[in-house]
Amino acid sequence: MSDQMHQAAANKGKKMLPVGHYRGLGAWTIVFFIFLYLPIVVLVFYSFNANRMVMNWGGFGIDWYLKAFQNDDIQKAVWNSLIVATAATIFSTAIATIGALVLARGGNFRGKTVSLGLITLPLMVPEIVTAVAVLIFFSAIGMNWGLGNVIIAHITFCIPFAFMPIRARLEGMDTSMEQAARDLYASEWETFRYVTVPLLMPGIVAGAMLAFVISMDDFIITLMVGGAGSTTLPVYIYSMIRRGLTPEINAVCTVLLFVSIAIVTAYWVVSKKSQTDTVH
Amino acid sequence: MTSAIDVRDITKIYNPNSNQPVKALDNVSLTIDDNEFFTLLGPSGCGKTTLLRLIAGFEAVSGGEIMLFDDEIENLEPNRRPVNTVFQHYALFPHMTVAANVAFGLERLKKPREEIEATVERVLTLVKMKHLADRHPNQLSGGQQQRVALARALAPSPKVLLLDEPLSALDLKLRQAMREELKQLQKETGITFVFVTHDQEEALAMSDRIAVMSDGEVQQIGGPTDIYEHPVNRFVADFIGDTNFMDGEIVGFNDDLVTCRIGTQSMFEAENSGAHKIGDQVTLFLRPEKITLSAVDDASAADTRPGKVANIVYLGNQAAYTVDMGDGIELIAQARPREDGKLPFTLGDPLAVEFSARALRVLAQ
Repeated sequence: MSDQMHQAAANKGKKMLPVGHYRGLGAWTIVFFIFLYLPIVVLVFYSFNANRMVMNWGGFGIDWYLKAFQNDDIQKAVWNSLIVATAATIFSTAIATIGALVLARGGNFRGKTVSLGLITLPLMVPEIVTAVAVLIFFSAIGMNWGLGNVIIAHITFCIPFAFMPIRARLEGMDTSMEQAARDLYASEWETFRYVTVPLLMPGIVAGAMLAFVISMDDFIITLMVGGAGSTTLPVYIYSMIRRGLTPEINAVCTVLLFVSIAIVTAYWVVSKKSQTDTVH
Repeated sequence: MTSAIDVRDITKIYNPNSNQPVKALDNVSLTIDDNEFFTLLGPSGCGKTTLLRLIAGFEAVSGGEIMLFDDEIENLEPNRRPVNTVFQHYALFPHMTVAANVAFGLERLKKPREEIEATVERVLTLVKMKHLADRHPNQLSGGQQQRVALARALAPSPKVLLLDEPLSALDLKLRQAMREELKQLQKETGITFVFVTHDQEEALAMSDRIAVMSDGEVQQIGGPTDIYEHPVNRFVADFIGDTNFMDGEIVGFNDDLVTCRIGTQSMFEAENSGAHKIGDQVTLFLRPEKITLSAVDDASAADTRPGKVANIVYLGNQAAYTVDMGDGIELIAQARPREDGKLPFTLGDPLAVEFSARALRVLAQ
C-alpha cells in the first residue's frame, strides 16, 4: 500500500472529510453567503438613505426611522402585532407544555402516537391551506372578533413550534429527579412546581421565543383572517409596498430584523445554557 | 426485636395485561430488623432494585404487603412513606444549591426555618460537605455528589434509608473508602439501611445480613459468613466469591462425613449438609483459599493428593493456579508469591494438594 493510500485510510478513520483541501471552496462559500445576505445588507443600507427614492443614494440620514416612528398607522400595526404575538405565545406555549407533559410523562395510553402526530402535523400543512381553512371556518360560524380571530388562528399554528423544544427538553429529563422529590415528601403538585417546571424552563422559554417569532412574522394567515382594524406589521408593510417603495419600508424592516435577531440570540443563549445544565 | 421492614408475599408483575407480562418478583418475603445494615444482592434483573422501588413507593405491588414498623405502607404515595432513597445516579436537583437540596425534604415536611438550617448544617457536617453548601451539583465531583445525596436522604431522619447501588458510579479507591464511611454512618445514625448492590465484595464488607436474590426470588438470607461459608445452593455458592464445583455421586457415609465419587474413580470426603442417601447426585464445593499447594518433595502429610499446574493467572498479591488433579478434575487454588516476588510454582510443576474434608461441602443438585 502506498503512503497516500495509508494517509487516505487514516483520514477516513479518524477525521471527517477534509474539505479545506478542495481548491476554490473558500471562494464558493463567499459567493454563497453573498447570495444569502446581500439583499438584506442592501435593505439595511438604504434604510439610512436621505433620498426619497429607495435605490438612489442621497446621503446618510435617519429621517426615515423618525418618520416611521411618527407614523400612526405603523404604530397601530406594531401594537397589533405585539398583542397578537404575545397572546398567541402565552396560549400556545401553555397548551404545548401541557401536551408535552402528557405525551412524555403520561405513560402509555390509547392514541398516544396519533396525538403526537396530530400535534406536529400543522408544521407540514401548507400555510395557504391553513389560512383558507381557518377563513372559511370563521365565516361559516359567523365569528367576527377582529383581532381575536387573528389570535386564535395564530395560537393554532404556533403550538407545534412551541411544542418541539419543550418535548425535547422533557425527553432528556430523567424521571429520577421527580421521583427524588416525591421521595422527599413533595406532593405531585409540589414536585411539578419545585422540580419539573424549573428543570423544564429552558425548553418552555425556547418554545415561547419560537412561537413569538413565528407569530410576529406571519403574513398569509393574518392577511386572510384579519379584517380592517386588525392589520399587523407584516400585512401593513405589504400594503405600503403596493403604494410605492420608500426608504421608510426599509427602516421598518430593519427594526423588525434586529428585534428578531435579538430574540433568536436570546433563544440560542438559553438553549446553550440548557445543554450545560447536565440533566442525568 | 422489632422489625423495620416486613415484606410479605410480595409479587410484582410488569405489563400484566400485555401478552408479555414480566414477573419481576415472585412471592418474596423477608424481614429487616431495626438498626440493621441489610443488603439485597444479586445479578442485574434479579428483582433487587424492583423490591427497593416497591418499598420506596415508586412502583405499585401486584400482590402482598409491606409493613414499616407495623404500619402497612404498600398503598401509600411515596411522599407519605417515612423512608428516603439514595439514587444510583444521585438525582440531585441541578437548579438548587447543595444546602437547598438537603433542605428540600425538611421544607416539604413544613419544619420551622431554624430547625431546617440546624439540620442541614448537621447532616452536611456528618458527610463532610459543609464547606461546599453553596455550590451547585454540577460543580461537584462524583464522590461529593454521592455525599450530598446521602445528606439529602438522611436530613428528614427517615425510619429506613434505601440505597440503590449508590457506589456503582464511583471509581475503585473511592468506592472502597465509601464502604467504610457508609458502614460508620449507619452505626452513628442508628437508621436501618437497605442497600442494593450486585457487587458481592461490597455486600460482604458492609452488611449485617444479606439477602441473595435471583430470578425474582430470595435464594438465601444470612450474615456474610453464613452466605459465604454455607451457601444453600449452587447459585449462591457461585455468585459469592470464587468456587470450585465438583459433580458426583454419594457412595458412602463415615460418621458425619459423606464419601463422593467424582469423575470415574476419585473419592472425596465432604461435610454432610442435609439429608442425603447413597446414590444421590450432588455437587461438592470448595473455596480456592481452603486449598494448600506445596511442592511434591516437601509434602510430609499423608493426606495430600497429587496434581499438576495447568494454568497460572497472576493477580499481584497472589496467583490463581488451575491444578489438574487427573480423572478430568480441575481445581482452582491460590498461592502467594515468594518474598523475592517470584511465583512458587511454574506451569507443569507437580504439586501436593491439601485440603480438609471439613472444607468440602455438599450442595443439593
